[in-house]
Amino acid sequence: MGKRKRRIGTILFVLLTVSAFIGTLAVKPPDSHESIQILMRDAVLHEVNKISLFGWLEVNPGLISAFSVSGIFLVFALIVRIFVIPRFTIIPGKFQLLLETAVGFFENLAKTNSPHRNRFLGAYIFAAGAYIFVGTIFELFGFQVVTTEGVSVSLPAPLSDINGAIMMGCLSYFVILLGGIAENKLKGVGRTLKEFSLPISMSFRLFGALLSGALVTELVYHYIHLSYGLPVLVGVLFTLLHALIQAYVLTMLTSLFYGEVSEPAHK
Amino acid sequence: MPLNINWQQILLHLFNFLLLFGILYSLIYKPVTQFMAKRRKHYEDMDEKAKANLAEAEKSKEEYLNKLKAADEEILEEKKNALKAVEKASAVKVKETEKEVEKMIADARKDIENERKMMMKEARNEIVNMVSDVADRLAVESKTSDTYDLFLDSMEGSDTDA
Repeated sequence: MGKRKRRIGTILFVLLTVSAFIGTLAVKPPDSHESIQILMRDAVLHEVNKISLFGWLEVNPGLISAFSVSGIFLVFALIVRIFVIPRFTIIPGKFQLLLETAVGFFENLAKTNSPHRNRFLGAYIFAAGAYIFVGTIFELFGFQVVTTEGVSVSLPAPLSDINGAIMMGCLSYFVILLGGIAENKLKGVGRTLKEFSLPISMSFRLFGALLSGALVTELVYHYIHLSYGLPVLVGVLFTLLHALIQAYVLTMLTSLFYGEVSEPAHK
Repeated sequence: MPLNINWQQILLHLFNFLLLFGILYSLIYKPVTQFMAKRRKHYEDMDEKAKANLAEAEKSKEEYLNKLKAADEEILEEKKNALKAVEKASAVKVKETEKEVEKMIADARKDIENERKMMMKEARNEIVNMVSDVADRLAVESKTSDTYDLFLDSMEGSDTDA
């Protein structure tokens, strides 16, 4: 590319950015029927904005996000299973390496934290980790849905819905309990029940972490003047970071406790 | 319920996640781990094969070294035996040669003795003949001093010839 073309490109880019900024200041924002207080309260409690699930049930937007994420995973997994996995080679290509690294990471996490029993654990934490990571990133796309009240809202992360977070925390606890029963029978149940606060702590940790991300994003996007530059940090970097951290924390905790309760009892 | 917790939605979330778990396990996790295990086994087999080959090569090398050592020892033994045989044969030959030489010397001595004897005999016969001749001549001619001188001269000449 010549110097002249590059200069023209830069000037055009700056002009477009400046005109967009001036435009946003000049144009009157639409009348918001929701104050930031109501918006943020609803993000936590989901009292107002409900989505109709096939006309059968009114659900939180987080559940729609959960189904959407599963749909995306289904399509992706099918494509990978049909077109990619049969072409796997001994010396992996870039995409194969990515898949193997992701699967291998969770497999190793399960093996290192629970050396005695880890086959099911590996599969579970892989699914949970992938779900939390992709589910959290999903909120970045801002897919719009219309609520039962006719308002358009963007789909949040599935686990920023307290019901999703409770499901994830309790299911992880149940998986830990299963590991204990499988290896140590009643003693395993006792060991798991000792950690009775685990489902609550895991659920609310997930809920709190993902909700805080959703709240900050709501806050930033609510005020137009904050929408310049800041979303790059708040919207993208923070989301990516807490997607990674939360996926790691939950899978790490699950495998740690699973390993602890499934350790064979010393005679 | 506090915080708008809804059991129906929790169950829906659970249903969704179990479905997702089934999909991810059967379509991605299981095939990928199976492939990784297959590749690990492939490399382990290769490693074992290489180790077995190496061990076999080491064994063969040891066997060859032992064989070489045995061959060297055998060659050394053969050399010793050959040397012994050569020494024995040469000793026999030397003995035989010495005997032959001794015999040849003895024969030669015998021949020389015989020849000397024959020569002495011939010389004696010749002297006898000469004496007889001289005596005959003296008898025929006169008994003078010349004749006696002639006899002496002829005697001296026959000594010089002998």
